[in-house]
Amino acid sequence: MSSLINTACKSHRVHAALVTVALICLAMVAGAQDVPLHVPSNAVAGQAVSIATKGNGPATFYLRGPSISLKRDTELGQNIDLSAKELQTSGDYVAVLCASTCSSARFFVAPGKPAVLTFLVHPSRAPVGLNDGINGVVLPFDQFHNLVLAPATVQFELTAKGSAPTSRDVQTHDGIAWFRTSSGKSAGALQISASLSDLVARRVVQQVASDPCNLRIKGQRTARGILVETEPVRDCSGNPVPDGTIVTFTAKDGHEVSFVDAPVKHDIARATMVAKGPVVVSAASGVATGNELRLGGSE
Amino acid sequence: MKKDLCNTEHHAWLRVFALIVLVLLSSSTLFAVDNSPQVTLDASNTGPRSVETLTQRAIVRDYKFAWANLDVALESNSAGPLNGLFAGPANDCLRGTVSSQQRSGMTSRYLNQRHKLEAIFYAPVGDVIELHDTAEYDFEIHDGGKTIHNEHAIVHYVVLMTPGADRWVIRQLQAVPQF
Repeated sequence: MSSLINTACKSHRVHAALVTVALICLAMVAGAQDVPLHVPSNAVAGQAVSIATKGNGPATFYLRGPSISLKRDTELGQNIDLSAKELQTSGDYVAVLCASTCSSARFFVAPGKPAVLTFLVHPSRAPVGLNDGINGVVLPFDQFHNLVLAPATVQFELTAKGSAPTSRDVQTHDGIAWFRTSSGKSAGALQISASLSDLVARRVVQQVASDPCNLRIKGQRTARGILVETEPVRDCSGNPVPDGTIVTFTAKDGHEVSFVDAPVKHDIARATMVAKGPVVVSAASGVATGNELRLGGSE
Repeated sequence: MKKDLCNTEHHAWLRVFALIVLVLLSSSTLFAVDNSPQVTLDASNTGPRSVETLTQRAIVRDYKFAWANLDVALESNSAGPLNGLFAGPANDCLRGTVSSQQRSGMTSRYLNQRHKLEAIFYAPVGDVIELHDTAEYDFEIHDGGKTIHNEHAIVHYVVLMTPGADRWVIRQLQAVPQF
């Protein structure tokens, strides 16, 4: 008996639930059919569109988008024209039509074709022989500064003096393409270009000598003391280090030690040190140390 | 007897249903007390550079503040709250919205915001980050004092942020149909 009652109640509840679901579905379908707006399904930034309306009588049309908010009187049953200027920004738009009641519809405006490449390259100066020391990021934008998210192939080309250009193709993901590369062996300008269809963006990275390597010094006694100077200071790849690179000369005169910092000028660092007795001079720059130079005492 | 038992159970079921409806109807009021945006960030799959913990915190803080101020700006039709939080195209777009709302006499609101951010790309030197935001909010459009549109919206945004002097600023805030 009890199971009979339970079964009866369950079937009653299932029936009620089914009726409720059917009513909700009917209401949704009716609601969808009542929306008097027919918004575009594939609008593109900077292109005019038309929104069809149903019914008759006066109404007020509203549009709210990423960079626009407009209100316009209209007649139901007529098309509402939106100009290219009103749809320049990619994103979601809400169209609202108010007569006796308000109805709304949402639509998306997609970005246009790439028109500008934003190309970020780092660093502006890079020492030679640096692993993965140079990188670049490209973001394609359309003429209205909307990020173009559709996949596209960007070609990166790197050209350094004295070596053959290298290039690689990278596809954009979510509107971004990037690369990373090591700097070359020779100092000088590295031209980097990013191209997408007929768009090209160019940047230059100045490749500079790395840290000094194999310092060698020479010296001689003068009336004022001793004059010491380096041979041309170069990095391990043979590139002359930039002017201003500091070389530290150290002179040991018995128990006395004196230091002089001298900048490289035209590849050579030079210093005059005061010492009367026999002296041992050495030089260092960065992590590089040079030979020791022994000079006898003055007459 | 069978009918009585069935009716009693049916009424009980109706009461529970009515209670659920009441709770659902009142929930929007209950939870609307704290209207500051809720922002979470998942940076577990970011490349090529990983996002440091402090950077993650700064991005969440600044993104939340930016959206809170965006709501204030579009509710009050004043571009002031946008200062320093948006730059470039995002700034131009929002200022365009504010000025066109002023002209049309409209205002809009983003209430009960929830943003689920996912960091997609973080540049090798950290000068730009791309985020995907699955945003959920109650979006209202008003004409004068009349509400002409009110919906609970789920919108996907592609976001570009760059580091400024003391904060991260939003450069691009572009809604897309899906990621």
